[in-house]
Amino acid sequence: MRSFRGGLLIGLAIAVLVGALAVIYEMYDTRTLKRTIRRGEVLCGVNKGLPGFSIPDDKGNWSGFDVDFCRAVASAIFDDPGKAKFVPLDASERFKELQSRKVDILSRNTTWSMARELEYDLYFPAVAYYDGEGFMLPRSRNIDNALDLNGSKICVQSGTTTLLNLADYFRANNMKYEAVKFDKLEDVVKAYDAGKCDTFTADQSQLYALRLNLSKPGDHVILPDVISKEPLAPVVRQRDDDWMMIVKWTLYAMINAEELGVTSKNIDEALKSKKPEVMRLVGTEGNYGEQLGLTKDWAARIIRHVGNYGEMYERNIGAESKLKIPRGMNQLWNAGGVQYAPPMR
Amino acid sequence: MTDFRRLTGIFVAALGLMLSTSHASAQQPDRGDEPGLVADDGYELDPEWRKTVVYYRTTEAPGTIIISTSERHLYLVQPGGRAIRYGIGVGRDGFQWQGLLNITQKKEWPDWTPPPEMIQRQPYLPRFMAGGPGNPLGARAMYLGTTVYRIHGTNRPDTIGTKVSSGCFRLVNADVSDLYDRVPVGTKVVVRQKPEL
Repeated sequence: MRSFRGGLLIGLAIAVLVGALAVIYEMYDTRTLKRTIRRGEVLCGVNKGLPGFSIPDDKGNWSGFDVDFCRAVASAIFDDPGKAKFVPLDASERFKELQSRKVDILSRNTTWSMARELEYDLYFPAVAYYDGEGFMLPRSRNIDNALDLNGSKICVQSGTTTLLNLADYFRANNMKYEAVKFDKLEDVVKAYDAGKCDTFTADQSQLYALRLNLSKPGDHVILPDVISKEPLAPVVRQRDDDWMMIVKWTLYAMINAEELGVTSKNIDEALKSKKPEVMRLVGTEGNYGEQLGLTKDWAARIIRHVGNYGEMYERNIGAESKLKIPRGMNQLWNAGGVQYAPPMR
Repeated sequence: MTDFRRLTGIFVAALGLMLSTSHASAQQPDRGDEPGLVADDGYELDPEWRKTVVYYRTTEAPGTIIISTSERHLYLVQPGGRAIRYGIGVGRDGFQWQGLLNITQKKEWPDWTPPPEMIQRQPYLPRFMAGGPGNPLGARAMYLGTTVYRIHGTNRPDTIGTKVSSGCFRLVNADVSDLYDRVPVGTKVVVRQKPEL
C-alpha cells in the first residue's frame, strides 16, 4: 500500500517536472516559425514612412515594397496576407529589436553588409532590391553618363557614406567636383531645386522619391549609373535556419514566378500547367513546401495574394507607382538586370 | 511631285477614313490604325514610355536592338552596361511573335500597303497609302528580315505602351527617327516574348 502511494507520488512528481519542462521549453523555444504560427501573425519591422517601400495611410493601412514582401511571408504561412503585423522601427533601433525578438523579420530598406551580419549576429537571406548611389540633374544639361560630370558642383548630405562614395568615384576617374554639403536631406533638396548645384547625389531610390518634391519633377533626370553597392535585403536572426529558409525562398519564389510568367492574374491557369518548372513552383509536383514546414501550395499562396516579383515592384515603386523607378538592376537576369533566383528543383 | 504625292496621300487617307467609318460598326474597330489622322506632336508620353537611358546588362553587342514584347520596351544596347530604352506599341494577343532577325531595309516616310492578311481581317483599310503625316507607319520604317513586320512610327502616339498592332512595333515619330539615325541596315534585332505557362 505504502509502496503504491510512494510510486504514485514519484510518478506525479515526474509528470509535474516533465510538464514544467515542456512549458519552459515552449516559452524559450527560439524557433521563429513555431512562435509565429502559435501567435497567428508575422511581426514585421518596417520603416516608419518611406514612400514606395513602407508607409501607412491616414487609416493606418500600410503599403509599399517592403510591406508587400512581409505580406508574402505571411501568405506562405497562413494563406492570408492580413496576418502580417507591422512594427515601425527607427534605423538606430532596428537590429536590437530584431535580436530581442520584438519582430520576426526586418523588411526595412536595410543594406546588406558583412559588418552588420557579423556584428549583430544577423542573416540577410537574399537581395530584395539592388540600390546604389546615383545622380540627378536637370534634363536641360543633356548628360546621360556619370563620367561627364567632371567639374560639377554636387549637392550632398554630409556625414554619410554617400559623401565618401562620391569622393572615391571622382578620384578613381580623375575627375574634379565641388561638394555642397548640408546636414539635413531636405536642405540638400532645397538647394538643388534653387539651382545651387549642377547635380544632386543620393541613393537612387531616394532620388526618385525626392524628385517628386521638386518644383518641376519632369525637368530632372536620374542617370542610370550606380557608383556604390546598396543591396537592400530582409533580415532575420542567425541560427534559425528553418525561418531563414522560408524568408529566402519566399523572395526566390516570387522572382522565379516572374521568370516563368506566373502572375496573380493567371495563378489558377498556372495550377493546371503541365510545364515541370511551373508545376514545381505552384506545388502540383514535388513537396518543397512541406520540406519548408509549410504546405505544398505555399508559393501559389504568395503569388495569389501578393503577386510575383515584377508585380510587387511595378505596383509599389515602378511604372504603376508615383516613383516610376525603371527596373534597372532589379530587372530579371535574362532581361537586362541582375535579379537571379536559384532554380526550384 | 511632292505636292502630287501629298494630294494622293490625302485622297487615299480620306477614302480610308470614309471606309473605316462606314465599316466601323460592322467590323471590330481597330483603335490602332487610323489612316489620315495627323499625329499630335505635342502628345506627352507617360515617363514609362519616354526615351530614357537605362542600366542594361546583356551579352549582346552594342548596337543590337532587343525588343521585350511583354514590357512594351525596345532597347538599343549601348557600351558600358546601358541601353537607350524606347516605349513601343506591340502586337495584339495572338499577333505576337519572337525570334532573331536583321534590319533589311530603311525608309523615310514610308508608303503603306497593308498585307493581304491584314486586309482580310480589316477590310476597311486602304489598299495603298502614300507616306506622310497621316500614314499609320509614321515618319520612318525599318524592315525586319523578309517578314511583313516593321519597326515604324505612328500617327497614334496614344497607342504607345499598348497591345494594338498586327505584329509590328511602333514608336512615336520623334523616337523612331532617333532610332533610325542610330541603326544601320544589318542591325541584329532580338524579339523576346513573355514565357508560356
